[in-house]
Amino acid sequence: MSTSSFFKSIGVIAINTYREVIRDRILYGIVVFALLLIGLSVVLGGLSFSEQAKISADFGFAGIQIGASILSIFVGATLVSKEIDKQTILTLLARPITRTQFVLGKFFGLLLVILTVMSGLAAVLAGLLLMLGLSITPLFFLALYGVVLESLVLVSITLLFGVISRPAMTVIFASSLFLLGHWVSSFEGLMKLKSLAKEPTVQFGSQVAKLIPNLERFNWRSAPIYNLPVPANDVLFATLYAVGWVIVIISLTSFVFRRRDFV
Amino acid sequence: MSTPVLEVIDLKKTYKRGFRAQPVHALRGVSFSIQPGTITGFLGANGAGKTTTIKCILELSMATSGKILYFGREGLTNDAKSRIGFLPERPYFYEYLTGREFLKFYGQLSKDTKSSILNERVSQLLKRVGLEQAGDRPLRSYSKGMLQRVGIAQALVHHPEFIILDEPQTGLDPDGRFEVREIIRETAGEGTAVFFSSHLLNDAEQLCRDLIIYKQGELVYSGTTQNLIGQAGTGFRITFTANGKIQTLDATDAADLQKAIDKVRAQGSEIQEIRPLRQSLEEIFIRIGFDGKTKPAAIDQQGTRL
Repeated sequence: MSTSSFFKSIGVIAINTYREVIRDRILYGIVVFALLLIGLSVVLGGLSFSEQAKISADFGFAGIQIGASILSIFVGATLVSKEIDKQTILTLLARPITRTQFVLGKFFGLLLVILTVMSGLAAVLAGLLLMLGLSITPLFFLALYGVVLESLVLVSITLLFGVISRPAMTVIFASSLFLLGHWVSSFEGLMKLKSLAKEPTVQFGSQVAKLIPNLERFNWRSAPIYNLPVPANDVLFATLYAVGWVIVIISLTSFVFRRRDFV
Repeated sequence: MSTPVLEVIDLKKTYKRGFRAQPVHALRGVSFSIQPGTITGFLGANGAGKTTTIKCILELSMATSGKILYFGREGLTNDAKSRIGFLPERPYFYEYLTGREFLKFYGQLSKDTKSSILNERVSQLLKRVGLEQAGDRPLRSYSKGMLQRVGIAQALVHHPEFIILDEPQTGLDPDGRFEVREIIRETAGEGTAVFFSSHLLNDAEQLCRDLIIYKQGELVYSGTTQNLIGQAGTGFRITFTANGKIQTLDATDAADLQKAIDKVRAQGSEIQEIRPLRQSLEEIFIRIGFDGKTKPAAIDQQGTRL
């Protein structure tokens, strides 16, 4: 198989996945929910006398992040299972494509949906912040880039669980990893305390924590609000960190999926 | 003889079921081949192993042992896949796509074809399966018969040399069955080998040059339809008048027939009719598949027993 036809097939599956999610009503429920969160940010900001714009920005970014995470987990959980349950997978895998291409197509398709939704939500948030007198700097886009990196990792995690378990279990597993992923950095802070570092349970925990992607590495949402500079090295490292996790998880997903028997 | 489009050699599939993981032998070493340009019917009762065989052929389920050759070569490569079309049993398709989008999607996945050529092929196929007017409607609005027809069209979109249809006529009304039968006939007429599983024995008898029959994961017949019907139904019935009453006498073969004629004449009876006895495929299938009275070996005397 030539490289171009390898990527072409991935692209065809990705576009079909994109079309599937975009034409699904569930997506619009999630978008409305995220828009309500952004809208709520203006209301909450209004409760503060001096920090309205900052509080609104904080809640606005949280709305975008929650929207992207819900999309990654809840929509991602059914992407593979739907194909199996409806048996569309049979006609698809009978075509000249590999199972790895199928997994990659699903991954990029959902990512494309997340990027589309995020663009819309970001435009709404930018409009609100401009109205509240906050300027849109490159840090605004950096904060969004962090959400994209986190979504990359979350989508790959959801796909992995999606090929080995039912959607409900996938949601539970992926949500747990999402929460743990945000908690890992707090645990790393705990490890730095000398009094606790030698405890066997803490040491065991630190080893387990290495198996969980640290999603706080992609959190630059405070940067545009407080105008905090983010070193380029941090951005580069976080990008490599996300891509590394995605490669590992997608390879594992593909390995598991290649062995799946559709009896 | 040309290279078979498919050759299945000693295929076995065992899987484990239940809490104690009891082994289930779904396929017990089956062997058969499909010749280019032929229509081959794949018959067997529910649970005989037809769908499992098809899934093993397409590597949707991994065989426990055995060998499968595609166009004379081992291994289901992407090249082999691009020469095969497939319609699964009870197909569900992407209901959010229109018929045209659906066919284009499968076409794009199958071969590196220019968009304009693919669009033309899609229009041509929609016309052929009678969905020209419905091509721009979403699949969720299609009837069962329409879905089956668009499903066959997706199996044909890339001009395959070999198509596998798993029970393509199931759940269709007589009109729908007729349409599917005609599409199969036309497809084979263009030189594509068609391999289809079915419970509709009359259709199989009318359409298929070759038959493959399974019983409980084992091959009981592989050969031509004509041979099977010819062998299983040989015999003659003499209708004659004796003492003013119409009576019949059956003969098993030509020699027996001569003896029977002599006997009837010797009685002074008048022969009204002598006609060959012919069993339908349905009658033969019921004997092979369900009552076990007909031993497979007896039926396979002239069929290709692999």
